Amino acid sequence: MAKYGGWAGKVLRVDLSAGKISTEDTVEQYKDYLGGTGIGYKVIWDEVQAGTKPFDPENRIVYGVGPLAGTGVPCNGRTAITTLWPTCWPRPLVASGHMGGHFAAELKYAGYDAIIIEGKADHPVWLSVLDGKAEIKDARGLWGQGIRRTTIEINQQMGPEASVAAIGQAGENLVPMSVVINSYSHSAGGVGGVMGSKNLKAIGVRGTGSVRIAGSKEEWEKVIKLHLSLLGANNQHVVPNNPQPWAEYYDAGSRWVASAGRRWGAANPSIDTGACEPHNLNRIAYRTNNAAFFLGDKAWQYTIRGNGCTACPVRCHTMLKVPAVSAKYGIPAVGQNTCTGLLFGKSFFKSFPDGPKGQTAIEACMVGMHLADDLGVWENYGQLQRDFQALYYNGIFGRKVAEKEFKSYSWDKYEQGDPTFLFELLPKIANKEGELATALGLGTGHLLERWGIPEQEWLENHELLYWKLGHPKHHSNEDAGQCGVIINTQYNRDAQCHSHSNFTRNGLPIDVQKRLATELWGAPDAVDAVAAFTPMNTYKAKMAKWALLRKELHDCLSLCNWMGPWVASPLKERGYRGDDSIESLVYSLATGDKKSRQELDEVAERIFLLHRALTIRDMGTKDMRTRHDTIPDWVFADLKDKAAFSKGTIRMDKEDIKLAMDMYYEEMSWDKQTGSPTGETYRRLGLAYVADELTKRGLLP
Amino acid sequence: MYSSHSFSRREFLLMTGGIVIAASALEAKGAKEAPLIIMDQAEGLVIADSTKCVGCRRCELACTEFNDGKSWPTMARIKVGRNLNFGPKGLRTGQRGQGNWGNGLIIQDICNQCPHPVPCANACPNDAIVVKPPTNARVVDPNRCTGCKMCQRACPWEMMSFDSDTDKATKCFLCDGNPKCVEACPSGALSYVAWRDLTDKVPPRVVPTAVVSPEKAQTCIDCHKK
Repeated sequence: MAKYGGWAGKVLRVDLSAGKISTEDTVEQYKDYLGGTGIGYKVIWDEVQAGTKPFDPENRIVYGVGPLAGTGVPCNGRTAITTLWPTCWPRPLVASGHMGGHFAAELKYAGYDAIIIEGKADHPVWLSVLDGKAEIKDARGLWGQGIRRTTIEINQQMGPEASVAAIGQAGENLVPMSVVINSYSHSAGGVGGVMGSKNLKAIGVRGTGSVRIAGSKEEWEKVIKLHLSLLGANNQHVVPNNPQPWAEYYDAGSRWVASAGRRWGAANPSIDTGACEPHNLNRIAYRTNNAAFFLGDKAWQYTIRGNGCTACPVRCHTMLKVPAVSAKYGIPAVGQNTCTGLLFGKSFFKSFPDGPKGQTAIEACMVGMHLADDLGVWENYGQLQRDFQALYYNGIFGRKVAEKEFKSYSWDKYEQGDPTFLFELLPKIANKEGELATALGLGTGHLLERWGIPEQEWLENHELLYWKLGHPKHHSNEDAGQCGVIINTQYNRDAQCHSHSNFTRNGLPIDVQKRLATELWGAPDAVDAVAAFTPMNTYKAKMAKWALLRKELHDCLSLCNWMGPWVASPLKERGYRGDDSIESLVYSLATGDKKSRQELDEVAERIFLLHRALTIRDMGTKDMRTRHDTIPDWVFADLKDKAAFSKGTIRMDKEDIKLAMDMYYEEMSWDKQTGSPTGETYRRLGLAYVADELTKRGLLP
Repeated sequence: MYSSHSFSRREFLLMTGGIVIAASALEAKGAKEAPLIIMDQAEGLVIADSTKCVGCRRCELACTEFNDGKSWPTMARIKVGRNLNFGPKGLRTGQRGQGNWGNGLIIQDICNQCPHPVPCANACPNDAIVVKPPTNARVVDPNRCTGCKMCQRACPWEMMSFDSDTDKATKCFLCDGNPKCVEACPSGALSYVAWRDLTDKVPPRVVPTAVVSPEKAQTCIDCHKK
């Protein structure tokens, strides 16, 4: 019997240039990096030279899952895909995309913790991974097909249970704004083109094996039930969004939307979501309906049910059936997604004839999902659509695109909010047809450069929510003040960190949050009420560090940072406490590698530091503070010119943010002046080899 | 007319209200007498509401993690994963079928705890599938199971599982009355209810190919001849 539970034990390596398939021992090679992004960063550090471009055969793309993927730990369905990022501007840097669905679990059952792809096949191929056996298969017949058809045809070969992660035409055509999708609607942004550059159309996985739980089954059952009891709704919102008989609090912004009278109207017969009293673990799946959350009450009547990843009771994807779209647009009546994927089509439009939450908006969502999730176009967390609106309404398209091409689009339809406009636009992005669509497919940074638009214009614009490096903010000052700002400086794409916002937006009153914050980060001042921010203090820096390490930990263990961490709960009898050590509890029991919360956070810090080191190495500078950890101007302005720290503004203060970065670097034991980790910090976390390499390159502070 | 029995099996069953001890089949093993193949009826049953299933597979994971200490949906005694993408008919219906790629309906396959005949038990050459109180679930006795997989070929609903770590068959044993799958379902799609006969309600998935031993076949004839 293997020494550890949790891990499948093998990492699959596929060299597409040589057609060679090999395996590595997960525990031997990668245990110090857990899995997921940890394996990804390690492979890229070891094997990909600085200066490599995303579409070079030498680039690696690593599909990593962790020891918890495929187990019954709630919310373990995510696969982290790490590679050099094509939309990272002005130079590609390491980043990761994360897809849910059933791919992660299936990969574990097939016997692997990760797949490393290198090289480039000389013709289109797909990879079949079937119970410990991997094969490179001919994909010439699939090339040019959408994701749906590709998936179906691979399922015909591998069986209906296989999980297929495929790219569409966008990825094939090396559109940087492209995705890979598995399980119908679960995408990882940005990586479609990297797969395309390797001539890799898809990976199909099917496993009939198991993941062994090292601890006793009784203890495992106990900790799983504890974890389940702490869950809220999507984004770990722990109070309902409207008064409920059982609830002490409610918050209108909560994604816990279930209530008597709100029905899954397209279930047959319809189902009332009813009271979802937190102790009733058989009703967790009814709490969330992200279609209703994002699209308004009208979405209830179209809701078939919630959907989502393996083992996740939260079901953040909502499956909709909108019969009218079949006749009107010739598309399937059923569609599903969440958040920006759900809103893909709608977000292009400024307005609709029947308002932002009317029937047309829902139809635009259906058309958008149908097209984007088949062509494999990425929305860059909504930046594509925000850019589109700005470029059109500011007349930039008209100036940058030849008149004939510009006029070939039905702009009247676009302005009227007619979803059929999407049939003109989205296939062109995927197929790189014309200047307009080709530029949009590059991602914001490269588009601005191509059209000679100063990035500064984007940095100053409040509505665009652009942050840096070609990417937008992701839960920044609007959710967590300075903590959000710090977090948004750290990554090479949108930050994708929810640890902080899932706490500040959990719906609990600020006094309860402050009580919990005292226990977690040392003082009530770690958190402020949203838009009633106070000046920086060290506890906010502690919270930022915690948030980042938990994000990285989740990405390595295969826990969903969109749902966790679980430091608050809906349970009144616990004083709404969650459990800050739930990750270490489940990790220790699953693997048998007993680690305390602090010990596991240290592993997370090692992995996070490796990401930092890769960024430093590939940027060729140690001056991260001024050259990487930058903050857009809009953060320091307010449209009504409200002063920072006054009520109702998310405006930050420049001097205060300087202090925030000082405190954060200090908390991380990094050099304050450069924002670079010190040699000592690398060594303390087991990264002496990284420190040595950076010393050689003159990149240590 | 009735060989050496003083009562026919049918008469015996009628007299005893259908209660015959399954273990008698085992006691009879080795004796010339043909085994009784009629089991006590199960007390309970897991039933599923497909319209409520959200496709998370927590039932399959609870089944194998809490009973066997491993996450192993393929071995689960409730089967959802095989219907998840395209429904029970697989890809034969393309995207117009059931499951995540069709109309969204997910069918949970569950052991019917068959009354009579009990195809898995009848097919077992070692009489390893027995009735277990208090639920009277049909369960695999691992001490008798030799891992021949005849039971897998006998169940029209493909509800037999196989534990390749122990080389033994396994099946739904109703967790002795507190089914883990029911407890684990986050949408309340599963219920543990008093047993009722679903064998003529649930469409079979396959045509069984197992062979019943001649001596058991003889007992069938005992009852079923006119």
